[in-house]
Amino acid sequence: MLFDIDFDVSTDEKKDITVPLETHHRVQQFIYNEARLLDERQWQRWLDLWTEDGMYWIPQQHGQASPFDHISLCWDNGMLRELRMRTLENPRNWAQQPITHTSRVVGSVMIDGTDADGCLIVRSAFHLTEWRKDALRHMAGSYIHKLVAHDDSWRIRLKQVNLVNCDDVHGAIQVYL
Amino acid sequence: MSYSNESIAGLVRPDSVHKSVYTDPEIFQLEMDRIYGHAWIYAGHESQVPKVGDYHTTRIGDQDVIMVRGTDNKVHVLYNRCPHKGAMLVARGDGNAGKFFRCPYHAWTFKLDGSHLAAPIRRGFEGTRFDPASPEFSMRALARVENYRGFVFASQAAEGPSLSDFLGGVRSSIDNLCDRSPEGEVEVAGGVFKVMQPSNWKVFYENLHDTMHANVTHESSYTSAREQAEAYGSMPLELHIMDGNGEPYDFWEKLSLMAFDYGHGYMEGIFNPGAIETDPITRSHFESLEAAYGRERALAILGENRHNTIIYGSGSPHTVFQQFRVIRPISVDRTMVEIQTFRLKGAPEAIFKRGLMYANLINSPSSNVMPDDIELYGRCQQGNQTRGGDWVSQHRYAGTDKPIEGGMTSINGTSELPMRNQFQAWKQYMLGEI
Repeated sequence: MLFDIDFDVSTDEKKDITVPLETHHRVQQFIYNEARLLDERQWQRWLDLWTEDGMYWIPQQHGQASPFDHISLCWDNGMLRELRMRTLENPRNWAQQPITHTSRVVGSVMIDGTDADGCLIVRSAFHLTEWRKDALRHMAGSYIHKLVAHDDSWRIRLKQVNLVNCDDVHGAIQVYL
Repeated sequence: MSYSNESIAGLVRPDSVHKSVYTDPEIFQLEMDRIYGHAWIYAGHESQVPKVGDYHTTRIGDQDVIMVRGTDNKVHVLYNRCPHKGAMLVARGDGNAGKFFRCPYHAWTFKLDGSHLAAPIRRGFEGTRFDPASPEFSMRALARVENYRGFVFASQAAEGPSLSDFLGGVRSSIDNLCDRSPEGEVEVAGGVFKVMQPSNWKVFYENLHDTMHANVTHESSYTSAREQAEAYGSMPLELHIMDGNGEPYDFWEKLSLMAFDYGHGYMEGIFNPGAIETDPITRSHFESLEAAYGRERALAILGENRHNTIIYGSGSPHTVFQQFRVIRPISVDRTMVEIQTFRLKGAPEAIFKRGLMYANLINSPSSNVMPDDIELYGRCQQGNQTRGGDWVSQHRYAGTDKPIEGGMTSINGTSELPMRNQFQAWKQYMLGEI
């Protein structure tokens, strides 16, 4: 289910495209909105942004080519995304007492092109500040979104989170980055 | 305060321990000398250094060490220190040293077993007491290194039990992990997670066989897994491994707990990844073992279903999902856990992928289950800093443990025998009795 699926995570075999300024603006707004929904813990609205087969991926190594033959900090499908939302909201989740607060700054949004399936490949940079109990934690890196056209907007096929310290020692990472 | 042997002995009762064993930095320093300075500690797996010159850095207690494949093809474990000015010879991480180590400070060089090779411009030492043959001018090796089926352990003490005797009753867990490969060999593969726990190292060891915590601490993750399975329409293995914690008390009471000398132990398996008859991945694994070992032995190998094994001081192998959670104490209130995943050589690739799945979902920093534990370990660490009481209870089924060869077994799966056994070893180490 997680390791035997045919899923294209590659972002280097891309086709260059030019998009109108207005499309670029709307893509930016989509990316900002996705980050904002996570910061506001609007889980259901965030889940609704995904395609049914969409995958969320945090590689554990710099330049990790695949989630299929190597551990990942996260490699979640829709079922596991829903599971995490249930867990985060469970009144007996002792690790969410108090809850995790986050604030993201997302910038440098660039449309890199399209992949073999025609998904838009969007790259951005993020800085995330996380607060829970006695520790303020900073995480930073790049996002790569693969977006599928849907009505007059998009759905997320892949969100890849490349942490600058992906191979570091980490404490618990409870919320999606 | 300074601890006499008498005061250390007073910290451990037959059914409870004094909280200072978790909170006092002086105790932690004594542990580094008397436990981690003596016991066999897992340095790494030989597959992490497959070629001559390959090295892997790690920590044995509070010591930075290098595990390296020598020109003799043996694995050596050396302190990461140049004898000239004391610089760490290699930066932390993995790499290949080539044919010898070369210090980046003044270019002193050492053979891969640590012995002195050369220092530039030899005439500068003429008439001095510098002696390349003296150990003072070589990298120092740890006192003893032994390899059990690819698992490399080092001891900082010249004297003591052999590794095989030390492992005793849990040697069979390493055997079973290796025997699950049709070739009888495993290799570290697919990367290593590193997780920091905000708590003393002993808290994690106690948790590994603490069956009474599962359905309390993990309530949010197993109820969510059950809700999700209902919404999804079935309970795939991904959810099943989280659901297991929600078994009721009578399930845990029936489990058997084994506790051995030196603080080791193992517990019976709590979930089976799949039956040979019904699960195609397990079936293909069985067939590869049957071809190698014959039917009866293949059944015995897969039938040995253990959950966490404890190798006290080193960590916790999990045979069924091919992991090793290596426990490295950092300070009195911080513990780093390295999670290794193994490939069973010659076994179907799907078995390795199942191990990766288990690592991602259970042992990754972003696991849905682990934050429950980390939260509670942290609360123990903080609660034990208060004046709210001095003793930590291990009373459950105390006094009922049954002797077995090289250890004890519980009469009930919720017994706190494993914790009492760990502290019996702890006390023996700290008093210099083992």
